[in-house]
Amino acid sequence: MTTHTAAPSETVPSVTVKPVSFPRILHSEWIKLWSLRSTYWTVLATLAAMVLIAVMLGVASLADDAAVVPDGQMAIGMGYTFAQVVVAVLGVLTITGEYTTGMIRSTLAAVPTRLPALAAKAVLVAAVGFILGVVGVALSYLASYPLLGADGAATLSDPEVQRIFWGSGLYLAGVGLLGLAIGTIIRHTAGAITLILGLLLLLSTMWQLLMMTSDWFTKSYAYLPSTAGERIASPDMSSVVAEGPQALAPWTGFGVFMLYIAVAFLIAGVLLRRRDA
Amino acid sequence: MIEARDLTKRYGDTTAVDNASFEVMPGTVTGFLGPNGSGKSTTMRMIVGLDRPTAGAVTVNGKPYAAHAAPLREVGVLLDAKAVHTGRSAYQHLRAMAATHGIPTRRVREVIDMTGLDRVADKRVGGFSLGMGQRLGIAAAMLGDPHTLILDEPVNGLDPEGVKWVRTMVRQLAGEGRTVFISSHLMSEMAQTADHLLVIGRGRIITAGRLADVIATARQATVRVVTPRPAELAELLTGEGATVTSVASGQLEVAELTSAEIGDLAAARGLPLHELTPLGASLEDAFLSLTRDEVEYRSETMTQGASR
Repeated sequence: MTTHTAAPSETVPSVTVKPVSFPRILHSEWIKLWSLRSTYWTVLATLAAMVLIAVMLGVASLADDAAVVPDGQMAIGMGYTFAQVVVAVLGVLTITGEYTTGMIRSTLAAVPTRLPALAAKAVLVAAVGFILGVVGVALSYLASYPLLGADGAATLSDPEVQRIFWGSGLYLAGVGLLGLAIGTIIRHTAGAITLILGLLLLLSTMWQLLMMTSDWFTKSYAYLPSTAGERIASPDMSSVVAEGPQALAPWTGFGVFMLYIAVAFLIAGVLLRRRDA
Repeated sequence: MIEARDLTKRYGDTTAVDNASFEVMPGTVTGFLGPNGSGKSTTMRMIVGLDRPTAGAVTVNGKPYAAHAAPLREVGVLLDAKAVHTGRSAYQHLRAMAATHGIPTRRVREVIDMTGLDRVADKRVGGFSLGMGQRLGIAAAMLGDPHTLILDEPVNGLDPEGVKWVRTMVRQLAGEGRTVFISSHLMSEMAQTADHLLVIGRGRIITAGRLADVIATARQATVRVVTPRPAELAELLTGEGATVTSVASGQLEVAELTSAEIGDLAAARGLPLHELTPLGASLEDAFLSLTRDEVEYRSETMTQGASR
């Protein structure tokens, strides 16, 4: 056959095709993120959860006979506890949704170097988590203000309030990233969600029980992913909870949390490169 | 052009692809033929870097797939009709794939029209039939207007009109000088589409070459002979090196001798013949004879047929 000699480049392209680049992968992941209904549900559920908690705490502050009267900082600083569940699931689904449907093969065929695809997902998950945290706190402030009154509501210029405001964004960004990394490692939705919710919600309770057995658990309690990470988002409770294990300073805690995330991504990256899709 | 050298893939003790070396040339449709589970899909996944070879290497247009700056420009691949998120619409799926290579939305519309998906493009893929899923997979493969197309069982689940459309399309693409590598477990399908054949069984490349040559070597013509004295005739023909099988009482099937040779031998010995009919082996028979020892899952009736 004479066509055997035809070099591949001789088929003249009529279609614009550019080299794969990180901004293009980011654009692709952006389209993917916002073309799934689950994303919209996640966003709505996160914001609703944060506002709901703020309102509940606002209502609680009206009671005279409460042992602990929630203040303005608590009203905006507790929303992350519910929101983190939803954001963790978003992070997990970003990758396990591709594994369970087979989409991952299309993704990795388009980006065969693989890691940029994970990095692009990480950027978007972190951005969405951050914005949800910050917007959620802002909405929480507005929703609880009528209940707390001008005196009861948090003072926006207070550095602690500022820290809770931006910190909620940072913590939820971190939770989303941890979900993404764990999802990449586990590849199954149910398994990955179980693992990350166990890490964030159950591990600290387990540690509290184990404190009775060894002093080591009391000392290490502050370094768990959840207890370390949430310090950046939570109000300072030392005045309320007198006893208990020592908590880390907000930024130290967040640094420890970022280390966990870095380790998780290291494992995820190695596995993503090595495994068959 | 695809070049594989000693390509091997093992999963634990199972060898899915065993030392496969082959070339797929531009300007041709090369059929990748083998029974289910013979290693076709694994080979194709290794070509586009989804599966990592245990040993050996494969290049596309001179480079490993992952080394290309714009891989979708080099290779369009349909591996699995369901390599798509079920919650996303076909249009958004294609748009996301296109975005990685800066392919304009105009091209997304083009491949949607080309594959006849325009009416369902905005519906979620989860509700797609197998045939629609195949069309979407082909649309995705065509996005980058690739030099090389790799299609794993593309006609699977397509209606007759769709099957015809795929055939016409791959012939046309090869005519434009592209490399088309298309797998099937059906010989009859390959016979109507491919110029070249690469036959695989149990992970090993059994034969490769032009379609007609492969079929000619694989086809074993037999002759049906009806005689009142079958035992004597069988003994005579076996003595001449033929393979004789008794089909029914007084009826033999003879391989490795022509009908003329059989007639002459019988006449020389004075054995009466009531019928002497040359039987051409079908394409499927040719395929079965090629892969007879290389089939992983053999059905009971086939085993009986083979030992008949």
